[in-house]
Amino acid sequence: MTHETITRPEWSTVIDPVLQKELEQHVLVTSWDKLLGMVDTIYNWGRRSSLWPLGFGLACCAIEMICTASSRFDIARFGAEVFRGSPRQADLMIVSGTVTKTMMPIIARLYDQMPEPKYVIAMGACASGGGPFKEGYNVVSGVDKFLPVDVYIPGCPPTPQSLLNGLMVLQRKIDGEKIDIPLIGREGNTAWYRDDVEREIPVPVLGPDLIDLRTVELAAERTAMGLVEAREAGLDKPALIPAPTVEHAPPPETASARPARKLKHAVARPSLVWLGDERLAQLADDLNRTLGPGTAAIIQAGLLIPPQKLVPVAFYLRDKNPIRYDYLVTIQSVHYTDCIEVVYHLDSTGVPGSLIELRVRAAEAEGAGEVPSLYDVYRGADFQEREVFDMMGVRFEGHPNLKRILMWEGFAYHPLRKDYLEPYYEAPAKVFPSRVDDGLGHHFRAEELNPHGTNLKAPRNYQDWGKLSSLDDPKGRLLVPSGVQVEELATDQYVVSMGPQHPSTHGVFRLNLRVDGETIVGLQPVMGYMHRNHEKIGERNTFLMNFPFTDRLDYLTSMANNFGYALAVEQLLGDEARPPERAEYIRVIMAELTRIASHMWSIGFLLNDLGAFFTPALYAIEERELILDLFEWAAGSRMMCNYFRFGGVAFDLPPGWIERCRGIVNERIDRKIDELDRYLSGNEILLDRTKGVGILDREQAIQFSTSGPVLRASGVAYDIRRVAPYSIYDRFEFRIPTGTVGDVYDRYHVRLEEMRESVRILKQAVRDIPDGPILPRKKTYQIKVPAGEAYSRVENPKGELGYYVVADGSATAYRYHVRSPSFINLTALETMCLGHTIADVVGILGSLDIVLGEVDR
Amino acid sequence: MAAIGILIKIFIVANVLMGAVAYLIWVERKIAAYAQDRIGPNRAGSEFGIPFGLLQPLADGAKMLLKEGVLPAYVNKPLYLIAPVIAIIAALLGFAVVPFGPVGPNQVMDFQIAPYVDIGILWVFAVGSLAVYAVILAGWSSNNKYSFIGGLRSSAQLISYEIPLGLSILGMVLITGSLDLNAIIRWQNEHHVWGVFVSPLGFIIFLVSAFAETNRLPFDLPESEQELVGGFHTEYSGMKFGMFFLGEYVHVITVSALTVILFGGGWDLWGLLPYLNYKDVGWIAAIAKLSVFSVKVAAVILFMMWIRWTLPRFRYDQLMDLAWKSLIPLALLNLFATAVVLQIVRG
Repeated sequence: MTHETITRPEWSTVIDPVLQKELEQHVLVTSWDKLLGMVDTIYNWGRRSSLWPLGFGLACCAIEMICTASSRFDIARFGAEVFRGSPRQADLMIVSGTVTKTMMPIIARLYDQMPEPKYVIAMGACASGGGPFKEGYNVVSGVDKFLPVDVYIPGCPPTPQSLLNGLMVLQRKIDGEKIDIPLIGREGNTAWYRDDVEREIPVPVLGPDLIDLRTVELAAERTAMGLVEAREAGLDKPALIPAPTVEHAPPPETASARPARKLKHAVARPSLVWLGDERLAQLADDLNRTLGPGTAAIIQAGLLIPPQKLVPVAFYLRDKNPIRYDYLVTIQSVHYTDCIEVVYHLDSTGVPGSLIELRVRAAEAEGAGEVPSLYDVYRGADFQEREVFDMMGVRFEGHPNLKRILMWEGFAYHPLRKDYLEPYYEAPAKVFPSRVDDGLGHHFRAEELNPHGTNLKAPRNYQDWGKLSSLDDPKGRLLVPSGVQVEELATDQYVVSMGPQHPSTHGVFRLNLRVDGETIVGLQPVMGYMHRNHEKIGERNTFLMNFPFTDRLDYLTSMANNFGYALAVEQLLGDEARPPERAEYIRVIMAELTRIASHMWSIGFLLNDLGAFFTPALYAIEERELILDLFEWAAGSRMMCNYFRFGGVAFDLPPGWIERCRGIVNERIDRKIDELDRYLSGNEILLDRTKGVGILDREQAIQFSTSGPVLRASGVAYDIRRVAPYSIYDRFEFRIPTGTVGDVYDRYHVRLEEMRESVRILKQAVRDIPDGPILPRKKTYQIKVPAGEAYSRVENPKGELGYYVVADGSATAYRYHVRSPSFINLTALETMCLGHTIADVVGILGSLDIVLGEVDR
Repeated sequence: MAAIGILIKIFIVANVLMGAVAYLIWVERKIAAYAQDRIGPNRAGSEFGIPFGLLQPLADGAKMLLKEGVLPAYVNKPLYLIAPVIAIIAALLGFAVVPFGPVGPNQVMDFQIAPYVDIGILWVFAVGSLAVYAVILAGWSSNNKYSFIGGLRSSAQLISYEIPLGLSILGMVLITGSLDLNAIIRWQNEHHVWGVFVSPLGFIIFLVSAFAETNRLPFDLPESEQELVGGFHTEYSGMKFGMFFLGEYVHVITVSALTVILFGGGWDLWGLLPYLNYKDVGWIAAIAKLSVFSVKVAAVILFMMWIRWTLPRFRYDQLMDLAWKSLIPLALLNLFATAVVLQIVRG
């Protein structure tokens, strides 16, 4: 045994090590370090056991974050269930989802507002490094570009278990912390309370792009040098195709003479169920006769209308045509070599299934295109026209509030134009060269490609660098609601900006409210905080690669999103991609299970918005979890199932799946729906809060192009499964529940009834599902889609989800647009809210059931 | 000597109260968890072998005390700083006249900080309504619109509900003929009948108003999280926020104690157990009465928590309607009916 001696610098006494050990054992305080160690222990223990997260969710990961707080996972065990709405009271920021440029200034500000000691968890691939959306023009490549991150959690999205693990890792990190006490010269390893460490983050600015004020000089210098443009000069650019003309249509006999696989053009039809060739020709004749020759020409099953005739044609179709086209389904735009084409789809609620397509062409040059606005004919055109303006730069004459909607005022580009290249642009289509190893062992991060080293691109001639200020708000400044006069009392009105971080906006959604007392007299939704460039990325993806991205649109209903996309491409592929019988059944089962899961969520959170603190929501989530188990079992992932394929589904159902599904469908869900109904529907407070609130009458609902439960609650029995049946929905017996008044209660009740109908469909489907193949042929990984265009419509839980795909015969979509039900339903929000109070706005928004991933795409 | 005794009593009561509040938050979280089919906090303390997350309140407290106290630049500093102080002082002062055990010259000691106050009820209401200043000042001085709306809502709500709350107890006051809380308990004990049976309507009005007075669901409009983020305390961090929380829970305890005293017979148990008569003196009787009283108060608190995790919230105008159009007329009716009946019975 060696006798080591310990010398103390102060008095140099030799202490017997045995005695030293004794002392340490029995006398607790032997040195400053020990004493402070105990202080550290207690202090750290307090913090680790009481991590209150900031209640803010960005995207898909936020749903898993909420699930972590639900009964099955229960983050409360760690004392971390106290989600605070105010950053002042939070200790932990869980960055749960894609950090967009529009959102980044707000995140930085929230971080600055949190008191020390504060921690950041980057939850999921997007928050950690941009994730699947990294190459998007509005996506920040990881929140650590701005904030100090303590724990990264991998996954897309991470499961609740991963989040719990991340929390435990953070707890371990806290355990190792020592505080800094300058008074006695003790150095810790924490950054708080130290003067020399700057923990405040300068809030980045939305200028021509997201500008980090810490590196603004460098950005200005590199932009002025034109480095980005110089890099782009050497890259392949996306090729433009000419707009279809009358003679462009393929002769039908060659199409049928050749084998189907060599078919170069898809059959021209806007949607699976539409007006039909003959009646369309007749409609064109009618239009030419009544509104003068040259009004309408048929191009690829759509009517080409000259811009100056658009408004009269729309009025004629709405008011005079035998089939009253009172419902504007969607507006989208395509950039061709010679024009920007704005495509309108119209349907009639009286004679459903008679969808037609209108095409209007505007000048191609950036900012030159002009089209008259349909705002006066269909109010539902409001946001959609703003979106086209934002993305393509086409101006809509007569639109009362033509502002950017997804990006911010001052953003330098119109990003969906084919000549706009993202900052991380590499090639027109995936797979990008930098992702291929080439056997050299080189991998590039996207940051290395951009001269700025970050997702930044500004026009070379941009001059106003000096004017950029953190206090400016280009996203919401111009969207302050005007408001109406209230005569009763001479009170001042004021503007409340609710969101984008707010407990009840269901994500990063912002409402600029003008209130008189608590009464709403004006409302402007501000969106785009979750705009992660789904459509631009969709044009780079091969058709098959795009499936997982559709999962992330409305991240509560990934299966149903897959369904719509599969239908759109199958429509182009024609007979070669006709799903076999078993696959059709599996698809319907998955879609209906999704509907139940989504409506469960929606009802639970509506109650939460009304103030029933999470209790109904958590019971609803329990049922959703059971459905997610089924998804995970079949597809491998709880939320992002990526399960559908063109012509079928990815995998057959595992053995035992159907039995379990039968059990849940036949024995459990029914009972639980009844339970919800019994406990909630009759509650007096619930009735008081929902009856007569947020009324949207029948005409308004149609005018605003709302869809799904919102439209049906207003008494319009318009359900795509019935009016334009897809897949095998025509075989099932089910009712279409409708409301009478169109208030919050009706929307709640329609959802409840729809779940019952879904259960009914499921019962039939699990009874009848046949055996057989799940794909028409063997799995393929590269498909060529014939040129053409297709619009598919599916009845998603939120409403009509539509995919508009223009294919040019290559492996990627030429144009890919999503008709998002949540986005269009929001058009009606102001009308529903006026005259109500702030508390009702929250409930009305909850009853619309929006999902920001889909609103902003 | 007596002064020192009172100081010691205050010290003990205040500390017990604070401890109770800390554990009420734990209980609330556990009840929330059970209401929602969860487990609730169970990790804090397991490091030291203490089960059920019993140390959770200590962890929260340790964290809050050592948290940075952010003082935003745009607030009105004096008012911003004084608001949480008022909240907790007003809540604690109200408890001064609450008898939590036997009080009287023959008893072993007076289980009340300020015994023999003839107007105990008035004191509780007078001091309790000071809490509204905390909320208004916090809301106004924060210079934040959510806080501001929260503060305004709160002032209107608290002022409105004072009236039915005050009127609802008048029935009991008429019946027992005293404003002294001890006398009210004694009356119930003498007759072995609780206030809830002699004045049921008054009890219901009192209970509803009490929920509103304590800002608990379904009346927690000033801080309604889903609408106003944090309401009046949106801008408060660290222990300043914690003080609002503590004040709120002390208020809950006070109101629950009042409910028990006025309508639940205080420590009376219909003579089912020995030692529970106002004539009984001695330590055993004192402890028995204290225990019965505490259990009853706990039951009322649990009931309030249970409601919170079950019901949705009223809208602001509905809340005012309820107060002015239903509760106040009912309370007046109750008062009138009680007076008439008393007149007839007593001749």
